[in-house]
Amino acid sequence: METIIRTEKVEKIYYQGRPEEVLALHQIDLEIVKNQFVLIRGPSGSGKTTLLNVISTIDRPTRGRVLLHGEDVSNYSDIHLSRIRQKTIGLVFQNFNLLPRLPAWENVAFPLLPLGIMVKERQRRAVEILNQLKLEKRVNHPPEQMSGGEQQRVAIARALINDPEIVIADEPTSNIDAESIQILLDTLMDLKAKGKTVIVCSHDPIFLNCSETTFLLTNGKLVGIEHTESR
Amino acid sequence: MKKHVNLLLTAIGNIIRNRVRNVVLILCLIAVLFPFITAISISEGIRFQSLISVEEGADIYVTLDHYGSNAPIPLHYLPRFQRMEGVSKAIPRVVGRAYFADRLATIVGIPPEEISRSIRLAQGKMLREKGEVVIGKALANAVHLQTGVRFTLSPNPSKIFRVSGVFDSNMSIWSSNLILMTFEDASELFLMRGMATDILIYTAPGHAQRLAREIMTAATNRDSSEPPLRVQDKPLVRRYFQRGFDYKSGVFTALFTVAFAFAIPALLVISGFGQTERKKEIGVLKATGWQTQEVMEMATLENLVISLTSAPLAILAAMVWLKWFNGAFIAKFFIAEIGLMAPFSVPSRFLPLASILAFLFAVVLTMMGSLYPTWKTATVPPVEAMR
Repeated sequence: METIIRTEKVEKIYYQGRPEEVLALHQIDLEIVKNQFVLIRGPSGSGKTTLLNVISTIDRPTRGRVLLHGEDVSNYSDIHLSRIRQKTIGLVFQNFNLLPRLPAWENVAFPLLPLGIMVKERQRRAVEILNQLKLEKRVNHPPEQMSGGEQQRVAIARALINDPEIVIADEPTSNIDAESIQILLDTLMDLKAKGKTVIVCSHDPIFLNCSETTFLLTNGKLVGIEHTESR
Repeated sequence: MKKHVNLLLTAIGNIIRNRVRNVVLILCLIAVLFPFITAISISEGIRFQSLISVEEGADIYVTLDHYGSNAPIPLHYLPRFQRMEGVSKAIPRVVGRAYFADRLATIVGIPPEEISRSIRLAQGKMLREKGEVVIGKALANAVHLQTGVRFTLSPNPSKIFRVSGVFDSNMSIWSSNLILMTFEDASELFLMRGMATDILIYTAPGHAQRLAREIMTAATNRDSSEPPLRVQDKPLVRRYFQRGFDYKSGVFTALFTVAFAFAIPALLVISGFGQTERKKEIGVLKATGWQTQEVMEMATLENLVISLTSAPLAILAAMVWLKWFNGAFIAKFFIAEIGLMAPFSVPSRFLPLASILAFLFAVVLTMMGSLYPTWKTATVPPVEAMR
């Protein structure tokens, strides 16, 4: 089993050196295996999202190392980290972070812009993914004209547009309805089936049935690891 | 290349998406730039007209030299100059100023046979005999003078003049407040019989420099109780004009710089509108794999597009201001003794320099407002930008 992500004694401190200093992550050591469905659980404020941000390279650890394919990326330059996010990691944010006023297909396609892919091809690829996620009727709708579940799926489509190896989703069920949750689960399981590594951070027990490895966080500390048989 | 095209198209898309903010920004840029462009155009127009006047004028101007300033010259010099080899003609002229119904008029007196027949008149005919004058349109309008009306002037109220014609308002700006009369009338008006304010010498091609030298030499060698002569040739007159306009342009530029300095913070505030949303956008772009350099390129392209839109619109506004409002408020910096609205057609000339400067100013202003915040946002971890 190939390790795709490993963290070594990762710490994240907010407002360091100030009276309001917060130790969000404390000495986190974990290993994520390729092509697994990984769940990061814990109560609110346990540091799940912080850990996910550090793993996904959109934030830097204060101390410790994050290794991606065995390479320490915690001190990589901004350029290198952007490249990793472009090619290897697809992110789905809790609040979707879609660009307002842009139609769904453009929201999905804008990670392709710097790759020099022209508009027709961008649109074709975006529409294809949106269709797979049952959003064919929402292709030209801006986020404000979509439900939470639909926005979630647009965010997933955007995360998948560059065909990343790792898909990371932060609290993906927190802003969507029951029907959308089922579509989301199917989509994530489908991604896993296609060989992707799926990392979800959530306190929703619905993911317990899907995950192969579950990391339990409390107060910024990794307090438990649970492995279940491969699905 | 495709990547840059994509970024340009996205930049244009962003401008359209945030149209309210960008329209306000473009309007502010136009408001800042158009007085500057109008001023440059007026300055160039006047400079151009001045240079035409200099080129079409005499080759040498001779006066007496009183303490380094021009002083009237006795007419007995006239035949001496006329006899010199290479002189085509020598014309005595009186140039003075007199108040006419609270308005300062420029009075020019030259022999009637020397008045160009190509001068355009709005009404009446060109003066041909003593007692007749042609007046500028601005002056005629201000004091309600028409052809045939008689009037006197303060330096010599015993002399009566009759308006024979009125200059066309589209003539050069110098004619707007002008009273043109015969040399003899002007001498009598200023009680300076036998004197001219200067003698204009026209020379055969290639003789001007030599003649100027000869007149100077003759003036320094002569044994007379009269003050020395002052000889001014075309290049010197050209330099005088240039210096005068450089000074006026300098005064305007100084004033404009002050206005510009006030405009910068205002534009910074406007271009900073929507920065919170923008910050989040940049964070999302970075989180999905965009490089800082690509974010910066897109922001730069947005600014360039805004500048490229603002600069021509500012030039258009300046053209409209000159055409419909005759350069009101701005022309008075360059033309002495006119009110807010010039009573004549203000000369203007649009040169490529004005367009280039307008574009550069617009670029500087927009870049100052947005590039630094964009760079700052793009270089922090994306999670911070999205927060």
